Amino acid sequence: MPKSQYVDPGKVFQPGYIDFESIPLCTYNLTLDEEKKLYSKADFLRIYHDMRTIREFETMLNEIKVKSEYNGVKYNNPGPAHLSIGQEASAVGQAYCMDINDFQFGSHRSHGEILAKGLSSINKLTDEELYDIMKEFLGGTILKVVEGRQAHPGDVKDLAKDFLLYGALAEIFARTTGFNKGLGGSMHAFFIPFGIFPNNAIVGGAAPIALGAALYKRANHKKGIVVANSGDGALGRGPVLESLNFASMDQITKLWGMDGKYSDEGMPILFNVFNNFYGMGGQTMGETMGFTNPARLAAGFNPTQMHAEKVNGYNPLAVIDATKRKKELLLNGQGPAFLEVATYRVSGHSPSDSSTYRTPEEIEAWKAADPIPAYRNKMIEGGVASAEEYAAIDEEIVARTTKIIKLAIDDEISPRMDLSKEPEMISSIMYSNQHVKSMDETREPEVLIPKEEDPRVKQIAGKARYAFDEKGEMIPKMKLYNIRDGLFEAIIDKFYEDPTTIAYGEDNRDWGGAFAVYRGLTEALPYHRFFNAPISESAIVGSAVGYAVAGGRAIVELMYADFIGCAGDEIFNQLSKWQAMSAGILKMPVVLRVSVGSKYGAQHSQDWTALCSHIPGLKVCFPATPYDAKGLMNQALNGTDPVVFFESQRIYDKGEEFHEGGVPEGYYEVNIGEPDVKREGKDVTILSIGAVLYRALDAAKKLEADYGISAEVIDARSLVPFDYSKVIESVKKTGKIVIVGDAVDRCSMMRDMASNIAEMAFDYLDAPPAVFGSRNWITPAFELEKYYFPQPTGIIDVIHEKLMPIPGYTPTYNETELEHMDRAKKGV
Amino acid sequence: MATVVIMPRQGQSVESCIITTWQKKKGDRVEVGDILFSYETDKSAFDEPAQTAGTILEVLAAEGDVIPCLDPVCIIGEVGEDISALLPKSAEAAPEAKAEEAKAEEAPKAEAAATVSESSGERVFISPRARHLALETGVDMTKVVSTGPHGRIIERDINKALDAGFTATTEAVEAFLAGHPIVVEEEKPAAAEAPAEKAAPAAVDDLRAYTEEPMSNIRKVIAKSMHASLSEMAQLTLNSSFDATALMAYRAKLKEAGEALGIGKVTVNDMVLYAVSRVLPNYPEINANLIDNTFRKYKHANVGMAVDTDRGLLVPVLFGAEKMTLAALAAETKVLAGKAREGKLTPDEMANGSFTVSNLGSMGVESFTPVINPPQTAILGVCCTVNRVKADGTVYPAMGLSLTFDHRAVDGAPAAKFLKELCTALENFDLLLAK
Repeated sequence: MPKSQYVDPGKVFQPGYIDFESIPLCTYNLTLDEEKKLYSKADFLRIYHDMRTIREFETMLNEIKVKSEYNGVKYNNPGPAHLSIGQEASAVGQAYCMDINDFQFGSHRSHGEILAKGLSSINKLTDEELYDIMKEFLGGTILKVVEGRQAHPGDVKDLAKDFLLYGALAEIFARTTGFNKGLGGSMHAFFIPFGIFPNNAIVGGAAPIALGAALYKRANHKKGIVVANSGDGALGRGPVLESLNFASMDQITKLWGMDGKYSDEGMPILFNVFNNFYGMGGQTMGETMGFTNPARLAAGFNPTQMHAEKVNGYNPLAVIDATKRKKELLLNGQGPAFLEVATYRVSGHSPSDSSTYRTPEEIEAWKAADPIPAYRNKMIEGGVASAEEYAAIDEEIVARTTKIIKLAIDDEISPRMDLSKEPEMISSIMYSNQHVKSMDETREPEVLIPKEEDPRVKQIAGKARYAFDEKGEMIPKMKLYNIRDGLFEAIIDKFYEDPTTIAYGEDNRDWGGAFAVYRGLTEALPYHRFFNAPISESAIVGSAVGYAVAGGRAIVELMYADFIGCAGDEIFNQLSKWQAMSAGILKMPVVLRVSVGSKYGAQHSQDWTALCSHIPGLKVCFPATPYDAKGLMNQALNGTDPVVFFESQRIYDKGEEFHEGGVPEGYYEVNIGEPDVKREGKDVTILSIGAVLYRALDAAKKLEADYGISAEVIDARSLVPFDYSKVIESVKKTGKIVIVGDAVDRCSMMRDMASNIAEMAFDYLDAPPAVFGSRNWITPAFELEKYYFPQPTGIIDVIHEKLMPIPGYTPTYNETELEHMDRAKKGV
Repeated sequence: MATVVIMPRQGQSVESCIITTWQKKKGDRVEVGDILFSYETDKSAFDEPAQTAGTILEVLAAEGDVIPCLDPVCIIGEVGEDISALLPKSAEAAPEAKAEEAKAEEAPKAEAAATVSESSGERVFISPRARHLALETGVDMTKVVSTGPHGRIIERDINKALDAGFTATTEAVEAFLAGHPIVVEEEKPAAAEAPAEKAAPAAVDDLRAYTEEPMSNIRKVIAKSMHASLSEMAQLTLNSSFDATALMAYRAKLKEAGEALGIGKVTVNDMVLYAVSRVLPNYPEINANLIDNTFRKYKHANVGMAVDTDRGLLVPVLFGAEKMTLAALAAETKVLAGKAREGKLTPDEMANGSFTVSNLGSMGVESFTPVINPPQTAILGVCCTVNRVKADGTVYPAMGLSLTFDHRAVDGAPAAKFLKELCTALENFDLLLAK
């Protein structure tokens, strides 16, 4: 426990200096004779072969892009082609050291990385393993294309090279026979059986994901390391810096061991920066950064300086040497590590790059230093192999590349997804919709005590699971099982069921979460399953994505919904998209808990359900009762889809007032997407989103008592997916609906629902669906919130103004259309 | 100075009428009293005579148009007069007939040709739900009071009108919603386009020949009302008769000397009406309407008289009949019957009846089951006289009476009591005159 780590004022103020070790820069200096002792001729030739394959592949793509023709084959490719011609030695050197269970995450300039890792894996797998992988992948779709067409029949490795090149190229050309059925494309191609994990079109986007994969290995005692590749430009990105810090945090080696009980090894991740000196056109050394060398930046993250080093990326053997050393460190538990691989991209950022940011002389100088001919000439001169042998390799590669492109552009062999024949093809892979109790049934979960002995579990056992006693009186809050307890119960159950389940976020351990949902988990779980993350929302959410991609189940938390923006890319581009971008190959069992505040002003009180609902691929829940909270959390945790789970701080202590018999102790699920009628009525429907449910019910009571109007109150419970049937059924009965929620009115889910209801039930409507959300303002102080968040009075005002004027009623607020027009005109 | 002729308002509840025929056309010379055009409500037909002499300078509505009451229909003045100030704003959007006429007779106005005729009424603001309910129930839209936001008609408004028993026809609702506050939409195309009689193919077999005639609007109203009457009420009929000797004797006296005393023709039916008007006030449930579990008990005997006309059955009302002398009553029935036959009754003259008397006696009908005119609670059928023999062997003229009553509103005993009292009154008609 951090309590054991005494922050001693006596030591804090002691004078002294921080000493940095010198950072090695391109210190590799082995001679060929020395190298010959380390590598066989076949190794030397294979390194050349792999570099040359990448070069040819990218040359082909470049020619298709700029000339629409390669080696007599004509084709037009409208998609992106971010090439890395010049960087092949760096990619091949790295991949050379990696085993099958070493994971590689790439940048958006990653064709070379993918091919290098693929070729390395082909070399390391046995023929049987290789053939099985090819046969099983996507039901053998890719194998069927390349099998029977190989240059060396019977040679499985030769067939596998065709398989790799074809799968990647068909993916780049958006064919259904690509690695991800063409849904990933050039910047997102990956092939997990070879250890190639998703690359990312977002610069630096893969860093937190790779971190999560390393966390998965670390927390589940899996073999191998994770390599997070990025360019030098990505070092300007917060998520990358957050990930460097997250991987380096002290607790991994100081606390996670728990006095020898568990491993105290460091994070098994190598942050590998291919420093090609330009982030698109911005020169990182001399213009957009100040570190001169990326290695300098990394050295500041922890006392081991992340073992940072710079290596010559134009020499594949130097890269191998450095990568091997880093890998050994990681396997010895001394991670994380950082490697700067200096290289150069002679091709443009993309084919439209006219190199306005660099001189022709500079490009020519680097071309002259081209690592591939340099390596070949060195080998020929050193007597490793003859010029003819190298020429034969070249010839074979050109022939293979030509064959592969012909296959990949053939519409018969490599068709595109036919959305006219199968219009629901993409719909069917947006969610995996599976129910998986445990992501790893071979292991028992690691826990510190039996569940029954957990202090929170014991405390809950004494609480009333239904809010009212036999006389119908409300039970005092302290004795009442509440929403917190419902969430806790679902979560601790999963911890004791699924060994891969892990939870982290800010102030989760010891504190028990800022709102006490996790109180009792600290006693039950070891550090590596439940810990405090740094204040790094990008790394928190991004690593959960990587954790799930690697095979685990993660529950991560943002303390306030207002921090969603801090993890914007990770929620909106990563968490949401990878299942579909992988054509359903990846699963994303992640629950992202976000708490919606109140009382805390403009940056701590916002309901941002609309932002998450807007993004395809996420499921979004917002329960308002203990029964729904536990049931929805159970389903979210038992599923394989990313669920953004909104919780309101206003109602954490609410007991169960609706589900008679109270909240079940055992397992049950509430279907995500199914709204619930919390109060029946016949004159008007109130559809509520989140905590406003209780204000809607107050309004309904007043309508009944004072005006004889019977209001039906429906709790949305979830926002995505959302089954409208119950709502439409209600509207058919009442003819009138007002949708209420705490989100600001403009572009809210309330507006979305209103528009859908108007379309689905137009003929039954007695008035247009009305919306009552918060004002399009900043959230004011608690004392002024009644002018901002919807209140019962305002709900009745809206019903009076827009749905059914109530005789004798005088509205308090101005909710007329004229006023709304004026507000819209002013943008407020 | 030219005069604008407007669509007259025929009764409080009438908001618009349909022009059935133009008797004059643009350019015709008219004298006071010349019929300009004929028009109809859903219950009556009327002719509109010219109130001033002159030339018809402009016709603002075509046959088949539904014109809101008090809206201009044509302009009468002297040839050459400037009437531009009198032309309504919507003159540009004049009906097709008028536009064609204008084309034929004068240089077309630039704007007149440019726009297409739209509905002449105002846009009705009504929720989709209320619209559906209105069409489904055929509510009388003219009785609907809107209470929704911005004057929009909402569901509860339709329900309120329905609860008060205000129903019309689906066609009426459609026309109203299309912007024509009152309705006879069906008759417009039927009269204007479809030939009134359509001969079926006759060549093969004449024996199967028939003609098809669209149901008239009044027929539709009667059909709906009668069907509703029988399907919604618990009707039963009591038959009785009375000795008409005294009645006949009194009538014979009137025939002889009435004219000399300035008393006009009095029919047997008038005498029955008179008797009914004196007995009715003693039976408030019978002198009443039953509307949605509420009795509307009339303070006066508003006795309706069923009149057979070419257009169908019409029931004008003798308001406050209990206060009329027999002579006054007889005079009034003649006026009303005349108006009914000429189709000149206003809707107001047919509404708010508390009871109805229907006479088929002149046709030799001995007994029948009259159908109650909703929302009334009873109707009296008057039958012919037959000679009956008393126990002592004397023969007397017995006149049959058939009382149909709504058992929901009235029980059998009070209904029978009413009939008995009526019979007694009629048997002692001369004494009744003292009342």
